[in-house]
Amino acid sequence: MRLFRLVAGCLLIAAAGFAQAADAPVFDAAQTRRILSHGPWPPEMVADRSNRLSGRPEAIRLGAVLFGDTRLSGNGAISCQSCHQPQHGWSEARARSEGLQRLDRNAPGLLNARLQRWFGWDGANDSLWAASIRPILAHTEMGGSAAATAQLLRNDPPLACLARHVDPAAAAMEDADLLVLAAKAMAAFQETLVSPRTAFDDFRDALAASDRIAMTRYPAAAQRGLALFTGRGQCGTCHSGPNFSNGEFHDTGLPFFIGDAGQPPGTPRRVDPGRHGGIAQVKVNPFNLLGRYNDDPSSPAAIPIRHVVQLHRNWGEFKVPGLRNLIATAPYMHDGSKADLHAVIRHYSDLDEDRLHADGEAILKPLNLGDAEMADLLAFLESLSGPEDSAARYQALRAEAARVCP
Amino acid sequence: MIRYSLFAILLLAAVPAQAQQQAQQLAQQPASILPLIDAHVHYSHDAWDNLPTADAIAILRRANLRKVLVSSSSDEGTQRLYQAAPDIIVPELRPYRRRGEIGSWFRDDSIITHMEARLAQYRYVGIGEFHLYGADADLPVPRRMVALARQYKLFLHAHSDGDAVERLFRHDPDTIILWAHSGFDRPDAVRALLKRYPNLWADLAFRNDHASGSKVDPAWRALFEEFPDRFMVGTDTFTPERWYYIEEHAKWSRAWLADLPAPLAERIAFRNAEALFARTGFRIDR
Repeated sequence: MRLFRLVAGCLLIAAAGFAQAADAPVFDAAQTRRILSHGPWPPEMVADRSNRLSGRPEAIRLGAVLFGDTRLSGNGAISCQSCHQPQHGWSEARARSEGLQRLDRNAPGLLNARLQRWFGWDGANDSLWAASIRPILAHTEMGGSAAATAQLLRNDPPLACLARHVDPAAAAMEDADLLVLAAKAMAAFQETLVSPRTAFDDFRDALAASDRIAMTRYPAAAQRGLALFTGRGQCGTCHSGPNFSNGEFHDTGLPFFIGDAGQPPGTPRRVDPGRHGGIAQVKVNPFNLLGRYNDDPSSPAAIPIRHVVQLHRNWGEFKVPGLRNLIATAPYMHDGSKADLHAVIRHYSDLDEDRLHADGEAILKPLNLGDAEMADLLAFLESLSGPEDSAARYQALRAEAARVCP
Repeated sequence: MIRYSLFAILLLAAVPAQAQQQAQQLAQQPASILPLIDAHVHYSHDAWDNLPTADAIAILRRANLRKVLVSSSSDEGTQRLYQAAPDIIVPELRPYRRRGEIGSWFRDDSIITHMEARLAQYRYVGIGEFHLYGADADLPVPRRMVALARQYKLFLHAHSDGDAVERLFRHDPDTIILWAHSGFDRPDAVRALLKRYPNLWADLAFRNDHASGSKVDPAWRALFEEFPDRFMVGTDTFTPERWYYIEEHAKWSRAWLADLPAPLAERIAFRNAEALFARTGFRIDR
C-alpha cells in the first residue's frame, strides 16, 4: 500500500510537471546556448586592479559611511544616497534626479555596477571610483570639492579614524589624493552591491543540468517570455551575459531631447548627446585609467580608454542597462521616461524605425507584440528579480563603522 | 537658364533683412575658417515640431556653413527653411510625403504625382535623398523619377547600393547621381563606381571610416587624391535631435580636412558641392 501511494504520488508530480510544460516553449540548441550564457550567477568576485582598496573590508566600511554623508556636498544636504536609494535598487523613483539642480537623467541603479566597463548612462567614466568622484565635483549635483572632501577626512574624528584604518598616511595626503581615496573606498563599497539569485537562475542552472523536474518550477509564462527574449525579440543581443548587458551604448529610437513632456510644439529644446559627450569627457578626465591615479596602469581595464573614439552614431546613444532586479529601479530609460516595465516593452513593440538610421541598429525592428506576448515578456523580466538584503548590509556596515571609530 | 536667373533675382529680393544681416556676418568670418557645405540635412515634420525654423537656421549659421543641401519628409520642412534663409538653403525634393515611406515609395504610383506636383510648383537642385536598393531601381516609379530629373535638370541623391546606382545610370547614362554615404561601401568599391561613372558624386555623411579624429585614413586619402572633384561632406539629421550635432560635425569635418592639402580640402569642403549644384543650373550665391 505504501509503495502504491509513493508511485501514485510520483505520477501526480510528473503529471503536474508535464501539464505545466505543455504550454511552455521548447528551446532549440541555439536558444539553449543563449540562455546558458546568462549565467551562472553570481559571478566570481574579481578585484578592480585600478583600485588598491578594492575588496578591502576597512575600505568598504569607510565607503559605506561616505556614501551616505551629506557633508561631501557643497550645501551639506546631498549625499550619494540621496539619488541612489537602497530601497529602489540604489536608484530612485524620480524620473530625473535632483542635485543642486534638476538633472537630465535618471539615477542608474548600482546593483552589479562592478561588472561594468563604462560608468554612467554616457560612460563618461571608465572606473567605478572615477564615477564616484564625478557627482561630488559636479556643480549641478553635489557641488563639493577635493579640498572640502579632504578637510572632512582629516578633521572629522570618526572619518579620520576610518581613513587611517584604510591608509595610515591618509591625513598627510594632498587634497586630490584624499578625494581619490574617498572615491576608491566608495567604489569598494559599491562593488559589494550584487543582486541575488533569482527564479531565472534556478531555471538556467536546471537547463544546464538537464534537470527537467527543476525546470518545470519556472513559470510557463516566464519561459515563453524568455523564448521571446532570446528568440524573435533578439533582446539578448545587447542585454547579453550574466548581467544582461553588453556594457556598450546604443540608440534604441528613444527621443533624447531634454525637457519636460507636454511642452508645446515649437518650444526650443536641448538634447542629451549621450555617449558622444561621454567619450569627450572620459578622454580628458584626469581621473581616467590613463592618469596617475590608476593603481595598476598595466591592467587590461585601461585598454578601452586608449582606443575609444567618437563616432557619429554615438550621438544620442545610451548605455545598455543590466536587467537584474530591475523591478526596484522604476522608472526606466536614461531619462526615466518610461514609468514601468510595460511601457518599456511597448516601446520595443511599437518601435519607430524612422528614428533609426537606415544603416544603423539593424537588429532593432518593431516587435509587434500581442497582449499575451507582452505579459509573457513581463513575466520573464520580473523573474530576473529576487529579494535582496543590500540595504540591511549597508546599515550593518555603517553601524560597524560607528563601533570601530565612534 | 532665363528661368533660373529670374528665379535667383526673385530669391535675392525675398531674402529677409535678418537673413541678409546674418549672411553679412558670415562673410566677415575670419579667413581661417574653412567654408563648408553640408550636403546631407533633413528637416522632417518631427524636426520642425521640436526645432523652430529660426532656431534651425541659427544652428546652421553657428556652424559657419556656406550652404546646406536639405531634403525633408514632407517637403514642407525644406520649403520652410528655404523661405527663411534662401541664401544658405539648397533645396532638394524627397519623394516621401511623410516619414515611414522609406520602404514603400518605389512601389507607390502616387509618389509620381507627388513629385510632378512639387517639381511644377517649387525649384530644386535634386531629387532625394531616397532609399533604393538592387532591382527595385528598375520599378516604374524610380524610372519615372530618373526621367523627371532629366526633364528638370536635377541630380539624384541616392541612398543605394552599387547595384541600384548602376541600374539608375542604365536608365539614363547622362543622369547625375550624388551617392549618399558613398554607399557605406569600402574605398575599393567606391573607386570602382567612380571610375565607371563620371557623373557619380559621393557624400561622406554618417561614416567615420575615412578619418579617425583629425587623421585621414590612408585608403581614403588615396581615393580623395584620385577623385578630388567627387566627394563632399554631410551630417545626416535623420532625427530632430541630430540637428544639434551639425555644429559638432562641422568642427570634426574641418579638423580632418586640415589633414589634406588645402586645395583638396577646399574641394571636399565646398567646391565640389558648388560644382555639383552648378551642373544643375542652380545659382550659387557666394
